[in-house]
Amino acid sequence: MQTKTTRADFDALVRRAGLTLTEQQIATFHGAFGYIEAMLENIRQPVRGREAEPALTFDPEGFR
Amino acid sequence: MNISASAGAAAFPTIASASADIAAKKLSPVELTTYLLTRIKTVDPVINAFLLVTEERALADARASEARMMSGTRIGPLDGIPIAHKDIYNTAGIRTTAHSRQLEHNVPTQDATSVAKLAAAGTIMLGKLATHEFAFGGPSFDLPWPPARNPWNPLHFTAGSSSGTGAAVAAGLILGGTGSDTGGSIRGPAALCGIAGIKPTYGRISRAGILPLAYTLDHSGPMAWTVQDCALMLQAMAGYDAADPAVSSKPVPDFSAALGKGVKGLKIGLIRHFHETDNPVSPATLKGINDAADLFRSMGAEIRDITLSPMQDYGACGFLIMIQEAYALHEKWMQTSFEKYGELLRDRMGLAAFLTGADYMQAIRKRRELCLEMAAAMADVDIFLTASQPMEAPLIDAVPKWAAFEKPNFTMPFNVTGYPAISICSGYGAGDLPVSIQLIAKPFEETKLFGVADAYEKATDWRSRRPAM
Repeated sequence: MQTKTTRADFDALVRRAGLTLTEQQIATFHGAFGYIEAMLENIRQPVRGREAEPALTFDPEGFR
Repeated sequence: MNISASAGAAAFPTIASASADIAAKKLSPVELTTYLLTRIKTVDPVINAFLLVTEERALADARASEARMMSGTRIGPLDGIPIAHKDIYNTAGIRTTAHSRQLEHNVPTQDATSVAKLAAAGTIMLGKLATHEFAFGGPSFDLPWPPARNPWNPLHFTAGSSSGTGAAVAAGLILGGTGSDTGGSIRGPAALCGIAGIKPTYGRISRAGILPLAYTLDHSGPMAWTVQDCALMLQAMAGYDAADPAVSSKPVPDFSAALGKGVKGLKIGLIRHFHETDNPVSPATLKGINDAADLFRSMGAEIRDITLSPMQDYGACGFLIMIQEAYALHEKWMQTSFEKYGELLRDRMGLAAFLTGADYMQAIRKRRELCLEMAAAMADVDIFLTASQPMEAPLIDAVPKWAAFEKPNFTMPFNVTGYPAISICSGYGAGDLPVSIQLIAKPFEETKLFGVADAYEKATDWRSRRPAM
């Protein structure tokens, strides 16, 4: 599975995550990230409008 | 005591057969426990199902149960039944590790609610069972303990993450055990080890005291040799618990009420595209599904084809939710002690470190659409039927790191929607290894699900075979 995110962009994601990784570990994550990119495209279909019914709600009386 | 006499057709007793014999004072809980402890010493070094054997606790539990049996104060059908717990279930004063170096010396001070409930029902705790690391990694060879192996052929994989429970039940080391299921971790090992395992409805069982993987996908449940045994265990495990905000307050029905009632008049939906095109299954797995459909039809059920979104859609949604919720729990350790995790867990879960809040929310929005779709598809159907695993167990050292990414699994759709689903043995395929079917019911209709699964199990003879160990 090809990863679309460039290695330079991926390095920025690693820094943001605060992980301390070896070069080999970063390469492993980058190599597998294409699988995640495919899933991210999948879940964004079909395109939803801003007014789509909210999926995440909470019950103000429900917290115990 | 005569273990063989209690066992019936199979080589070992079931929960139901042992319970009947204990009730009739034909079977001693102490002798049954002693027999299993001895068998664990002989067999477990081959399959690595146990991380810890709690021999003293087991014998104490057994003596107490035997005293109740002799005094006529037996608690119920699980009194005197030896079980064990997946090692993510907290056990007071007994090491609970999640099969991870991160918790290698962790000793909880309280039992998980399920552990306490099963103890109150009179079960005998034999020990703690192997899992994939934190119910997600595996099969890993770089952890403090080896991975569990398949009793049908120890060179093969058990699936996971409730790997030790699947192996121990199939090998006749315990009569039943606990598992957890976030994307298929009960049904996968049940399938590859040739036993029964149910993921009940989301919220049917409290998860308090069970180390979490992903809050909105985590389910706990029982695994045993037969459907009836799963029903008996679920009866003790289910019910409201203020300590788990997700648990339901619905009344707990009699899960054994539909056993032996057959399937006449029920409508069974065959999700053919899941196992024929979305992830084509092995010939023996396909034969098991088609034979099951024919059997149900011959017993008076109506079989219909059902079409849902591609299984890939459910897989992408579930997997993204799972790794992001899991990563949130492990973030600190991932940042500070990354190397203490096994490679499989840290590499799979670590991918969530590079996602955003918007990614998580899009997955949640997708989930709602999939839940609505499945509810509509099941509105006029009682049960869904499809595969539980795509094929027989692969070799344990030939499971690719990214296998779960390459093809969608058959179990995740019902974690995404929270529907109850059971995996049961449907025969034996390549290498004489078990294959399985998966049956799914509407939320909180476990009783109907058990009834249909039991009808299949009783009409076939797959339960007459055990691994030659």
